Amino acid sequence: MMQPKHVLDGYRVLDITQYLAGPAATNLMVQMGAEVIKLEIGPHGEPVRNFPFCRDGRSGYFIQQNRGKKSLCLDPKTPEGLDIIKQLLKHCDVFIENFAPGVVGRLGLGWDVVREINPDIIMCSISAFGQEGPLAAHPGFDYIAQAYAAVSDLIGEPDRAPSMPMLAFGDVGTGVHALTAIGYALLERARDGGGQWLDISLLDSYFHYHEVSVQAYSASGGKVQPHRSGSHHYAVGPSGIFKAKEGHLMILALLHQWSPLCRAMGREDLIADPKFVDNDARMVNREEMIAIIEGWLQTLPSDAAALAILEGARIPCAPILSVPQAMAHPHMIERRTVREIDDRLLGKFKIPGMPLRFSKYEVDENIQAPLLGEHNAEILQRFLKYPPEQVRDLENRKVLFSKPV
Amino acid sequence: MQPKHMMEGYRILDFTQFLAGPTTTRLLAEMGAEVIKVELAPAGDPTHQLPHRRAGRSGYYIQQNRGKKSVCVDIRNPKGLALIKELIKSCDVLLENFSPGAIARLGLGWEVARQINPELIMCSISAFGQTGPLSELPGFDYIAMAVSGVMDMIGDPDQPPYFPMLGIGDVSAGVHALAAINAALLYRYKTGRGQYIDISLLDSYFHSHEINVQAYSGSKGKIVPRRSGHHHYAAAPLGLFKCRDGYLFMVVMARQWVPLCKAMGRDDLVDNPNYDTNAKRVQNRLEIVAIIEDWLRNYDRDDALRLLQDMHVPVAPVLSVPEAMEHPHLIEREVVRTIHDRGYGELQIPGIPLRFSDFPEPLDLQAPYLGEHNREVFSQFAGVTIAEVAALEAEGVLVSEPLPAGVATVASA
Repeated sequence: MMQPKHVLDGYRVLDITQYLAGPAATNLMVQMGAEVIKLEIGPHGEPVRNFPFCRDGRSGYFIQQNRGKKSLCLDPKTPEGLDIIKQLLKHCDVFIENFAPGVVGRLGLGWDVVREINPDIIMCSISAFGQEGPLAAHPGFDYIAQAYAAVSDLIGEPDRAPSMPMLAFGDVGTGVHALTAIGYALLERARDGGGQWLDISLLDSYFHYHEVSVQAYSASGGKVQPHRSGSHHYAVGPSGIFKAKEGHLMILALLHQWSPLCRAMGREDLIADPKFVDNDARMVNREEMIAIIEGWLQTLPSDAAALAILEGARIPCAPILSVPQAMAHPHMIERRTVREIDDRLLGKFKIPGMPLRFSKYEVDENIQAPLLGEHNAEILQRFLKYPPEQVRDLENRKVLFSKPV
Repeated sequence: MQPKHMMEGYRILDFTQFLAGPTTTRLLAEMGAEVIKVELAPAGDPTHQLPHRRAGRSGYYIQQNRGKKSVCVDIRNPKGLALIKELIKSCDVLLENFSPGAIARLGLGWEVARQINPELIMCSISAFGQTGPLSELPGFDYIAMAVSGVMDMIGDPDQPPYFPMLGIGDVSAGVHALAAINAALLYRYKTGRGQYIDISLLDSYFHSHEINVQAYSGSKGKIVPRRSGHHHYAAAPLGLFKCRDGYLFMVVMARQWVPLCKAMGRDDLVDNPNYDTNAKRVQNRLEIVAIIEDWLRNYDRDDALRLLQDMHVPVAPVLSVPEAMEHPHLIEREVVRTIHDRGYGELQIPGIPLRFSDFPEPLDLQAPYLGEHNREVFSQFAGVTIAEVAALEAEGVLVSEPLPAGVATVASA
């Protein structure tokens, strides 16, 4: 066979998702070579086309999540629009949506209908709380599911309100969970045939992050109470954010790293000190331990000097970089964890890199985010054999929409 | 024949320890793959020692390692290394999360592994990736979180940042690895070719920046992302609000402002020109937060929750871990589930986040004891007799802990 352009070359995805969780899943699929038809609801299309940062009506937020996708914009509430979607389903391997549960069914595109049209299709629904259960009908965004999943409660000072992270790892994480479920369903289909329906939720994904708290609370019969504990971990240490000469440093010196830390500080005397001899003792005397480490950090000329000493002793440590600092870090630049793209309208700017790295393929950086309805004619001609005049007619009658530059 | 689950028939050789890698192979095991967990002699995965422990068993280890087969091997011993190389011949995927370079020094780098099995997919997970200035440094979840610009985005602007008391980066990197392995398997299905995958916590964390990177870059530094405590810096009202007995989280976008005003009985705010766009609400954020918290002062959390839910305002109670574990929705959907370990007894752990309509029932899985499957795995896949396994155990090349009285081994499928 011809050399494929990337690992998912040849797969076609009908993507009716909007905002972040669903688009994050199809964003990764595009970057792995899949053909993604982004089905936008007319007349305005994807709501994030207006999210900041915007310049000349072009959104950096939209571009980051939607590069390489083909835009088809239509009104699914018209019979002709709905028919176009149903025709396209026959040509697709995957159908993905993230409306509130039930909405896609009311549009006439529920799993029962979709599987009749294409028995081999993988349909993936992404929602805040899942497709059924007491919370299913509630509207939800990332932080709403985060609060229900007992993640928000574990961030901040114990005696103050919890704190919220200024990024949506729940949406992106849920998109990655959806990607895995879709991919494994495709793999199973390749061997056993037949499609299936996937039910992915933010709540499931967030709750899945609890590595310690759920089992520890359950197994200890409630003796271990998970709680937020500010800038230092409640169960292991030293593990936290320490005030240094200039800024703050993250230092993790768990178990076998305590002795090297003591030596790095020139405090061999602490190694055998019963107050700090093991993790339990260090947790009892946590405040004193933190004061010793912060006292030592103050004696050093700079944070860089502290990092050099700690790194030399192989103690896990890091400066707490701001977003601009991280974007300027040589490691991030060398590995293209941050990368510059060039949008046809917005111009050059930076976005996060592709987190999945394959030895056989480079990421194609020349892909472009689509204009609204940019691929109406191409898609309808290719899959439904509509001539250009029919597409124009559908645009005139507000079944299809597009927004020329 | 109907397979027992999605990934039945796939075999994974799993050198990973701690959390990120074991998350990947745990999900593979939950999808029916055969996971052979290679534990380093003599003590195995360090998480055997992590809390909470009971009957010599760690709940932490059990949660991450159910359904895997354990072999415990001294791979610095040439005999141990030879056994592992035999296993590589019959595995689909090799996964490791040592520091970069360590697996090659053990004699099992990608160049060696691909020679042994050209169809093999090998995946390395590390803190910073296999290349670059930081790659050599030791790293755990929070270390990568600090470098990624994520930790800096959590907390009050005038205070040190916070970190969440859970391993988001490890689990997330594990799921990223799962996605990459899957795509490589799909590709191999078509082409017969294996390949190498480089996954890092830093990449996975940085990938979560949905706004900050493009906004800082696109605005040429005019938008400087910063932590802003309990309320978002770019949308309002969006944040945590204090009630009489707890906290609510509310996300009020354009469409939800009017219903929120109505829920508060404050229709007068709807047309107030100070609040009629998101930009103005962000500008007057402190006023709005004060108005909302003033209203909430008279309500218990769950009463306010119902009122706001009736108006379809996206809202959530900020649940503690115990509250979440008792919530009817999490119980009904088995977002939290109860498992039974042979040695440890009953235990609650998070559910499987991947739900397939063709395979709705979870598999019945047990976490292995150290080296429990030495005999089964090496006799089946490395052409070694049971007697030879026993001899290697006597020699210390292989290690196994005795099963406690009354605990039965898990029969092979």
